Amino acid sequence: MQKKVLQFKLNGESLAVLVSPADTLVDVLRDQLGLTGTKKGCGKGECGACTVIMNGKSVNSCIIPALQVMDAEIETIEGIGKPEKLHPLQESFIDLGAIQCGFCTPGMIMSAKALLDINLSPTTADIKEAIAGNICRCTGYTKIEEAVLAAADKMKIKEDR
Amino acid sequence: MKKDYAVVGKSVRKLDAMEKALGTATYTTDIRLPGMLYGKVLRSPHPHAKIVKIDTHKAEALPGVMAVATHLNTSKVKFNTSATSTFTIPPLQPVEDQYIFDSVVRYVGDEVAAVAAVSKSVAEAALKLIEVEYQLLPAVYDPIEGMQKGAPEIHHCEVGKNIPGEKIHIEMGDVEKGFAEADYVFEHTFKLPVQKQAQLETQAAVAQVAVDGKVTVWSTTQTPHPTRRILATIFSLPYSKVRVLNPPYIGGGFGVRIGLSAKAEPIALALAMLAKKPVKVVYDRKEDFTSSDTRHSGYITVKTGVKKDGIFTSRKISATLNTGAYCSWGAELPGVLGAMGLSLYYCPNQMYDGHSVYTNITPAGAMRGFGSPQAIYAVESQMDIIADELGFDPIEIRRKNIMRPGKDWVLPYPCLSSGLEECMDRGAAEIDWQRRGKPTQQHSTKRRGIGMAAGTHVSNSWPFCVDYSNAYVTVQQDGSIHLASGVPDMGTGTITTLSQMAAEVMGVALDQVGITIADTESTPFEIGSHASRTCYASGTAVVAAAEDAKKQILEDAAKTLNTSPEDLYIADGIVYSLSNAELNIPLSKVAVEAHLRGKQFIGVGRIIPKNAPPYLAHFAKVEVDIETGKVTVLKMVAAHDVGKAINPVIVEGQLEGGLAMGLGYAISEEIKFDGKGTPLNDGFHKYMLPTAVDIPELKAIIVEANDPSGPFGAKGVGETGLIATAAAISNAVYDALGIRFFEIPLTEERVYKALKERK
Repeated sequence: MQKKVLQFKLNGESLAVLVSPADTLVDVLRDQLGLTGTKKGCGKGECGACTVIMNGKSVNSCIIPALQVMDAEIETIEGIGKPEKLHPLQESFIDLGAIQCGFCTPGMIMSAKALLDINLSPTTADIKEAIAGNICRCTGYTKIEEAVLAAADKMKIKEDR
Repeated sequence: MKKDYAVVGKSVRKLDAMEKALGTATYTTDIRLPGMLYGKVLRSPHPHAKIVKIDTHKAEALPGVMAVATHLNTSKVKFNTSATSTFTIPPLQPVEDQYIFDSVVRYVGDEVAAVAAVSKSVAEAALKLIEVEYQLLPAVYDPIEGMQKGAPEIHHCEVGKNIPGEKIHIEMGDVEKGFAEADYVFEHTFKLPVQKQAQLETQAAVAQVAVDGKVTVWSTTQTPHPTRRILATIFSLPYSKVRVLNPPYIGGGFGVRIGLSAKAEPIALALAMLAKKPVKVVYDRKEDFTSSDTRHSGYITVKTGVKKDGIFTSRKISATLNTGAYCSWGAELPGVLGAMGLSLYYCPNQMYDGHSVYTNITPAGAMRGFGSPQAIYAVESQMDIIADELGFDPIEIRRKNIMRPGKDWVLPYPCLSSGLEECMDRGAAEIDWQRRGKPTQQHSTKRRGIGMAAGTHVSNSWPFCVDYSNAYVTVQQDGSIHLASGVPDMGTGTITTLSQMAAEVMGVALDQVGITIADTESTPFEIGSHASRTCYASGTAVVAAAEDAKKQILEDAAKTLNTSPEDLYIADGIVYSLSNAELNIPLSKVAVEAHLRGKQFIGVGRIIPKNAPPYLAHFAKVEVDIETGKVTVLKMVAAHDVGKAINPVIVEGQLEGGLAMGLGYAISEEIKFDGKGTPLNDGFHKYMLPTAVDIPELKAIIVEANDPSGPFGAKGVGETGLIATAAAISNAVYDALGIRFFEIPLTEERVYKALKERK
């Protein structure tokens, strides 16, 4: 299959990569760009470990054909915080014990971020719905939901100021 | 005993959490080495067949294919994918029943061949070019059918048809005498499903062979040291020339990789040796489901003799378990199942008989709880029946019979602590126990119920397996501490908990502790992370190593301060005198002065753990839709005697996660097979594990009975969160409907059928 140039915006930076029509977004991120923070748990859009934000919406990057990303804006876990300036979600996940094996964590945080980007006063039901496609086998989700709520509160206070 | 700790007992931030939150944490599936090839596996479409012919020429000719491995060009050393070859205690012999590839396939998904190629897609294309001619053999799927005379032989066994290892027999007192003394005798048989660990990172390994033949394998194993032993044996290498390590993170385990990660390690290594390049093997999710160990399914019968006053006189348990096509943990698990099933309650006359049976389905091995969830489901379901029939409150009849310190049981170690009564009382208060049995919403199509169940487990694998730990603590020249333990952190908080223990003993701040884990080259032998042992057993080794290092420091500092070592202690990184508040010296100074004299403080911890029973009481509030049979769990309470919580938030996380997995075991999770041995539930879409929307309010209650045998009083926690969950939910469903189930999961279909039959 002939390779094509894919142009898109990744974590705020424009870039172009050569991809095959058969490539999925997760493969481009992990294998070509070395961004292994996005995990691959099933390859079928069933576990959410590969969740990234595409044009403001959370998507399973393992079922997004790479070429569908043309001109899109993609956010991955690597783009939302730094050790010295964590995203409030990252901070809450760390502080409230919402991380165990950590394999679902990047996808979970990205799903939660897509929610908080549009709703800073989510109910528990909103949070459950937002992460319903993200499987976590370690935590029982309770501390994850608490962390998302806490992050929303932090972000809201900041916004209100 | 000192009760006020500086670091232990505090919910400090997990030391691995920052990397994991930022996406920079490295897992096996993230590894990419220069020149690395990708390995893919060809799997059997048949449940039982002989490979008459296998032709790999076309696959080998495909451009980009660097190696093809089959039973014709790989090791002929038999092994067990689980760590039993390291753990089995003589006179029992480990069951070694498989090769990397064999000329016979024994289940749908069994390994036939593997390809290493320059890309995943080339490797996949090459698999399709391998030509295999099978001669089909008769197959069997049920363990009771599998042990019959006429059943097809899956492996030759000495003890009985298709029975691996030994039949386990445990006995105390005289059960027949006990049944004769009873006023009532209850006997029930329960059927258990196949559950899957479904850890988020699939089985994976990357193998590299250096020019001098030294082997390095990065993998998802829970037990690097035993895994090294298995690999060295398969490939006839000195243990010292094989390095196995986690990189350092593992995307969950839950027992599925105690020993090898299914066969990811030996397949990657065989391909790397053939191709002379590093090879990465990552199972896809379907392979992970069909071709890596599950929880044992099977049948458990419980017979109990009871006096009118509710006191047990005799108990007999028997179990026939389905271990699938290869034994894995099938020889050891029946022993734990029986011992835990008997040990929750005191009963003077007890007996257990149990064993596994080979069948032509996916192998069953270790999964969180290792026999206890099966045993406790049966025992605690029957306990509810006994309470009901005799007219006792379920908690009160348990109170009469629970094991208490000082009483006899079948285990070779004593019960030194129990917080079970406190667990039951606090859990009952949290769930509103007095509302149980009160009919609600009789006019509606929903029925609510409350149920409970108690449970117990172990804090390491002795006496069922070999169990010991080693650790090093080295004091650096600046007074900071380095800790080395071979145990992995599969998300359970190992790195943090062990560091907290070392910091506590050494009297330094947590940020002064550095840690190396899960690497056979830089840590001493250590069994690994299984059997709820990491905090209890590996922790005991870390404490011993830290005590050893501290002793050396205090002896050295005593000379400098002109006092005795007994007069000294360390706090906040400073060595203080007990008798003279003015007398002190920073640890950094003691360390650097020792260094100038050519000395480093090196603490070694070498321990054989005792064992201790963690106790738990689970409570469930459920709602059942009597029109559809749907069971909705509204609230779960888990009160756990953990001995001592080294890091309470980590402990809560273990319990909540266990509860969710137990909830799945109770109402939705099951792998079924069609009539020809093909699994019907081979992915997340078809295997109904709980997602966030299925999780009710979970309340974890920590009870600390301080076991004298554990580090700082701690007992095992990791597996305990799901041990009584299924029974608690099943008992709650009984409270709601008045229908008793003898089989899980309580799916809509099963409950609907039962409701219909009742009508």
